Amino acid sequence: MSGTSPALVAAREADAAAAAAVKADQAAGELEDARERYAELVARHQRRAARIAYHYLRDAAEADEAVQDAFVKAYQHLASFREELPFDVWFTRILINGCLDRIKARTRRERWLVPMTGTRRTTAAAADGADWDMTDRVAAAGASPEQALLGRERRRQIATALAKLPERQRSVFVLSHVEGRTSREVSALTGLNESTVRVHLFRAIRKLRALLANDTVAAASGDLKGKRRVTS
Amino acid sequence: MSLLERLGRGHLSDAQLARLWSSSQPDGRRHAHLDACAGCRARFAAFDAWAIDIGETLRAEADEAFPAERLAAQQAQIARRLETLERPARVIVFPKAARAVISGHSHVRRWVTVAAAAGLIAGVGLGQVVPLRTVLMTQQAPAPKTNFTAPVTADIAKALTSAATSMNDEELLSDAFVSPKVKNLSALDDMTPHARDYIARSK
Repeated sequence: MSGTSPALVAAREADAAAAAAVKADQAAGELEDARERYAELVARHQRRAARIAYHYLRDAAEADEAVQDAFVKAYQHLASFREELPFDVWFTRILINGCLDRIKARTRRERWLVPMTGTRRTTAAAADGADWDMTDRVAAAGASPEQALLGRERRRQIATALAKLPERQRSVFVLSHVEGRTSREVSALTGLNESTVRVHLFRAIRKLRALLANDTVAAASGDLKGKRRVTS
Repeated sequence: MSLLERLGRGHLSDAQLARLWSSSQPDGRRHAHLDACAGCRARFAAFDAWAIDIGETLRAEADEAFPAERLAAQQAQIARRLETLERPARVIVFPKAARAVISGHSHVRRWVTVAAAAGLIAGVGLGQVVPLRTVLMTQQAPAPKTNFTAPVTADIAKALTSAATSMNDEELLSDAFVSPKVKNLSALDDMTPHARDYIARSK
């Protein structure tokens, strides 16, 4: 949403230079140097890639695999990378395609298999807040238990509301608002028009507001009912 | 402030705020009404803060799922995978005998196979046309003596056995003066000098 900042411009120039160097090393057969230079690119984009994959897949282990696959694929196809496009945009497109493939595969799998509880938290389980990992129950060092609980509840509500959005709206919202991409970049990443991106973003935020308002109302009425039950 | 009041005064609705927020320009240009109306400006600021809070919450959630240790492990794993890409897996050659039967790459092997099949077919066909068994039988026809001797000896044994079993001792002694009852021994009997001949000669 914000414009391209000077820091972002500098980072992109550094990315372009690193990508060009890796390509040159690959072409010259100096593969060890290529890998070392590529590790810089990995370190620079890893955190953001993990966030995007996590928001798509809602499963840390699967997001981890998706990020790894995307980096390996990008390294293999670096020769086809056009330098007029920012590296992060090109790479994020690879990552998103990988995530969408995984979501399709998961949907196919879940159609045939009975979901198992206990090992991994599926999207539905995470959305419902059921099947929490025991490590979540360990008291946090900083915030009080009450604050931690409220924070967790808030996150759960937002994650549930985000999961209820249609896929395109969710993608546009995550990329533009959570990752801070411009409409043009989101357009390049998703293949949608810039105006369509803005429409999806508008619908996403409106729907999120409605869903979260409902949650707040429901939670408030639940609290009220609880209090009445206690007092009666 | 109620919706009717907002509509009456021309204030921005939630949807309009959302539209403004989603299409806000990077250079900070805003809707003209926002500059004029302090109430709507405050509502827009609250809306913006709410949206920013959502973004931060989602980022925090993802960062919690990926702590620094996990990212370091992921980076190491990526480096390992890139390294293995450069050293492709070695293909293990299977034993030659197993491949020779299946593969059809060698022309010599193929010709040998075809020749063997042709020979087999020709052999079967020739066997059907020429009665090889009868030809071989006539050429090699041996005279198996055992085929003839076996029944004769069996007959003799049978005759002897029957005679032996039918005669007692007195009959056997009296037979010494008469011709034998067993026909097969008559030739032998003829060549043998008899006591009755001496008796007749002395008389």
